[in-house]
Amino acid sequence: MEDVQVVAMLVRRCIAGDAAAWEEIVQTYNRRIYNICYRFAGTSDDAEDLTQEVFIKMYRTLQSYDHTKGAFVTWVTTITRNLLVDHFRKTKQDRMTDSMDTAASDHEDAQPLSEQIQDQSAPPDARVRSREVGETVHAALARLSPELREAVILRDLQDMDYKEIANVLKVPEGTVKSRINRGRAELARLLQRTYRQVM
Amino acid sequence: MQCNEFDALLTDALDGVLTGTALDRFQVHAGSCKVCGPLLAEAEAGRNWLKGLTEVEPPANLVANILASTTGVDTQRLRAPARAAQPQISWLDRVQASLSGFFQPIWITVRQPRFAMSFGMAFFALSVGLTVAGVKPADLRQISLRPAAIRHTYYNTQARVVRYFDNARAVYELQAALRGIKRNMAPAEPGRRQAQPEKPKDDKNDTTQQPEQKQERNYSQTEDQLILASAPLGPSVDDLPVVSVTTYRRFV
Repeated sequence: MEDVQVVAMLVRRCIAGDAAAWEEIVQTYNRRIYNICYRFAGTSDDAEDLTQEVFIKMYRTLQSYDHTKGAFVTWVTTITRNLLVDHFRKTKQDRMTDSMDTAASDHEDAQPLSEQIQDQSAPPDARVRSREVGETVHAALARLSPELREAVILRDLQDMDYKEIANVLKVPEGTVKSRINRGRAELARLLQRTYRQVM
Repeated sequence: MQCNEFDALLTDALDGVLTGTALDRFQVHAGSCKVCGPLLAEAEAGRNWLKGLTEVEPPANLVANILASTTGVDTQRLRAPARAAQPQISWLDRVQASLSGFFQPIWITVRQPRFAMSFGMAFFALSVGLTVAGVKPADLRQISLRPAAIRHTYYNTQARVVRYFDNARAVYELQAALRGIKRNMAPAEPGRRQAQPEKPKDDKNDTTQQPEQKQERNYSQTEDQLILASAPLGPSVDDLPVVSVTTYRRFV
């Protein structure tokens, strides 16, 4: 995924105060971090704020990165995951009071999940339909527990291998696999239940 | 195969890395177990749903915001496309927009007929007043507002005021001297000054609790008359007839 030596050099240049090297890091990883944050937090506003927080934390702790201990992307994902967990803990109370019909994404035009699915057969355009299905899945993903959600996000959306995920989550690989399986199954059950309600 | 072993191999099976006898045993257990069979189907369906999700585009200014919040440098290069999209607004337009925002409500109020009439009358009265006072707009144009000219005007005005008061003092002194000479030259009228009644005092500040002077007027006049009658300038008491005294009192 990344050339360890190139990234290590980039990090050294950053630590030395090279603004261009830092800009290159931001350009390379902002998309990935934003997507993780968006899928985990659920809204683009939160994702934007969290992405900025991740990079601020990276900028401050860049000296602690040791390329011999792991890939830079794993280190970045670990920082992202830790911040997301902190964010989840802060907003836990709000999430507990959410209902299934509450809109979880600002891309959903504030429509409840059931209404989105009701409308999905209406638009004739396949791209619009595909986008709406994606939003429905995104809304269902937000209903998973954070442990399952982060596991499936890292595996199925970020294509990380089990070992890297285990490093990021600091759990054994077997636990990672178990969480991924349960996360996928739970997501499928949520979507099936939702579709059954619509039908 | 036990269910926990099936669970451990589930990801490998979905990833397609499970082969050989392990795959056969896995499939047999999935077909026979009422828990693991549906779990396999659900996990596969969930994975397919997630694979259908596409990456979302980050906001356009995200990188610029990150760089500004970390290095503190507002990268002009990154913000340039966003700025180019916005129409150019000159400073004159901005000033006009801000002023119109302030003056617009006032202008709407002023345009009402009743207020317009009032303002018209006020302007007319002002212009008439200035015309009567001799103020002309052409004169205002000739006023020099240079600091030296203002200082010069100030000193001239001050000197004129000082000269006016000095002249007034000389005139008053001259008038007082002439009045004194006239008083000395003219023959004194007997009893004229003394016979004049005193002006009534202002009762507002009288806290003496004494009876008013007015009540004793007739007695004092009588006493004055006696003194005047004995003054050396006038005729002697023996020469004055009684009638003339009575006449004197009548004129007082």
